[in-house]
Amino acid sequence: MTYSSPSAETEIEIVRNETGRQLAFRQFLRNRAATVGLVCLLVICLVAIAAPLIAPFDPAAIKLSEKLRPPSLIHWLGTDHFGRDVLSRMIWGARISLSVGLTVVIFALATGVPVGLISGYTGGNTDNTLMRLMDGFLTFPPLLLGVAIVGLLGPDVQNVMLALGIVQMPVFARIVRSATLAVREETYITATRALGAGVGRIIGHILGNIMSAIVVQVTIGFSAAVIAEASLSFLGLGVQPPASSWGRDLSEARRFMNDAPWLFLAPTAAIMICVMSINFLGDGLRDALQPRSWRSHRPAAKEPNAT
Amino acid sequence: MWRYVFRRLGQIPIVLVVVTITIFIVVRSTPGDPIQIMLGMQTSPDAVAAIRHEFRFDQPLYRQYLLWLWDVVHGDLGRSVRLNQSVVSLLTERFPVSFRLALAAMVFAVLVSIPLGIISALRRNTWVDYLCTGVTLIGFSIPNFALALVLIFVLSVKLQLLPITGIGATSSSLWASIAPYVLPSLALGMLQVAVLTRLLRSSMIDVLSQDYIRTARAKGLMPSTVLVVHALKNALIPFVTMIAIQFGYLIGIQVTIEYTFAIPGMGTAILNAVVNRDFPVIQGFTLVIASFFLLTNILADILYSVLDPRIRY
Repeated sequence: MTYSSPSAETEIEIVRNETGRQLAFRQFLRNRAATVGLVCLLVICLVAIAAPLIAPFDPAAIKLSEKLRPPSLIHWLGTDHFGRDVLSRMIWGARISLSVGLTVVIFALATGVPVGLISGYTGGNTDNTLMRLMDGFLTFPPLLLGVAIVGLLGPDVQNVMLALGIVQMPVFARIVRSATLAVREETYITATRALGAGVGRIIGHILGNIMSAIVVQVTIGFSAAVIAEASLSFLGLGVQPPASSWGRDLSEARRFMNDAPWLFLAPTAAIMICVMSINFLGDGLRDALQPRSWRSHRPAAKEPNAT
Repeated sequence: MWRYVFRRLGQIPIVLVVVTITIFIVVRSTPGDPIQIMLGMQTSPDAVAAIRHEFRFDQPLYRQYLLWLWDVVHGDLGRSVRLNQSVVSLLTERFPVSFRLALAAMVFAVLVSIPLGIISALRRNTWVDYLCTGVTLIGFSIPNFALALVLIFVLSVKLQLLPITGIGATSSSLWASIAPYVLPSLALGMLQVAVLTRLLRSSMIDVLSQDYIRTARAKGLMPSTVLVVHALKNALIPFVTMIAIQFGYLIGIQVTIEYTFAIPGMGTAILNAVVNRDFPVIQGFTLVIASFFLLTNILADILYSVLDPRIRY
């Protein structure tokens, strides 16, 4: 899917050939959907950081006299079955979603990237062993693996982060490995080696050249983690009450669908806006950094599923 | 070709052994004793020990694994600690439900995505295309259980068109047995609608710009012939491959849908087994799901090379 006009293709060529982060950045800004996504995501981040300051009520404060009130001027998004302010819960829920997303991506980067680099760079038996190990993780539907790990370790946010990080690690490793394999044989790497550069320096060059693939995967992983956290919390395996999480609140809203539809609409909208802005951002980054990726014939065969 | 197929199939047991060993270690090394959880704290230690012995939990880990593997090869996955049932019989109950649900979701996804993908490729950058883009965006960003709640609210609670429950219940009429699958499969299949529409759109656009399409048009073939015989046939190659891959995913991601609609499928079985630390069920079900997932992936690769003669393994 492209959001760019037909003339964008020539524009991309310039970015690719003459390089420069500024050109890529300008290309990104040209993409309206991507810019909107970036702005939305920044707003959500600010809201999450400033949650204690801007949330109108305590998200866990129970006030039964106010329960199941529809949206009003005092409670913009209404109240839930304990009389808790839904808007405040959504604001605090953003904290959970974003912090899980961030931790998962950092974990997957810290573990998957070295594995992929080593595997792609050394090749041979090391490569075979590492990749078969990663394949082992990938033979399992990601969400069920998450359910299994969190269920066994005990329902808790930290375990959710760990589980989702483990789920995403092999995906990062795979992508970094194939990108490394492609870059390793390039002339400039041979030239660097001929100049007598050490392994560290060569790896540094490789890393610099596969960065765009990693950046795009980070956005994919981030939105997948947000949805997965919501799913696990929905199943009762994630955040425990009274803390608020979008998925958890959705699960509780099921009981009041007839009387209080705002209870399930608010978290649904929150998740959608968050995931959509990350996806827009990711699409924009991909178009700006990897101009050829959207043309590929068989894009998704090894691509991770969004959930 | 056949050599490739056999090599891929030959890899399955190796991967499965790695997977099951990992699950075995994770399951046994995390805190919580299934027998203690089941019997409670007041039971006599002797009774606990007896049951532990019965389930071989008192033996060394490697022995437990080897004995389990031996049984698996002989078609025995053990007995559930929690339910008075063998794992195999639990599987024969749960697998068909999950399979049917995944199949229904995939049929929905294919039926919707083929017209959407073709129309949006032909009417590129028109309102129809933007509408399709909107649909795929929603499919990618709404979690299936949230969509399920929206559908339940609109179609069941407000319009009272479709039942929410009923899968697994015995029913008399055909509609009564199909109806309960409609809402869950719509909610479950939406992601695949997005994935498949996006894929078909881009591969259609790709194919339509090929020289042989111009040739076909230039020699005066009917536009519909060009579209169906020359364009669609080629554009469907990655599409068909993707269906196989996504089908494997569907079995795995339907746990939230099963949970929402109280469907007795594989996902809820694993969820309960994990919470209750029902080791034999966890091991048996993960083995089956991993095998299924592996098989659909291999099937996808084989399909790809069968459909596209240029691909040779």
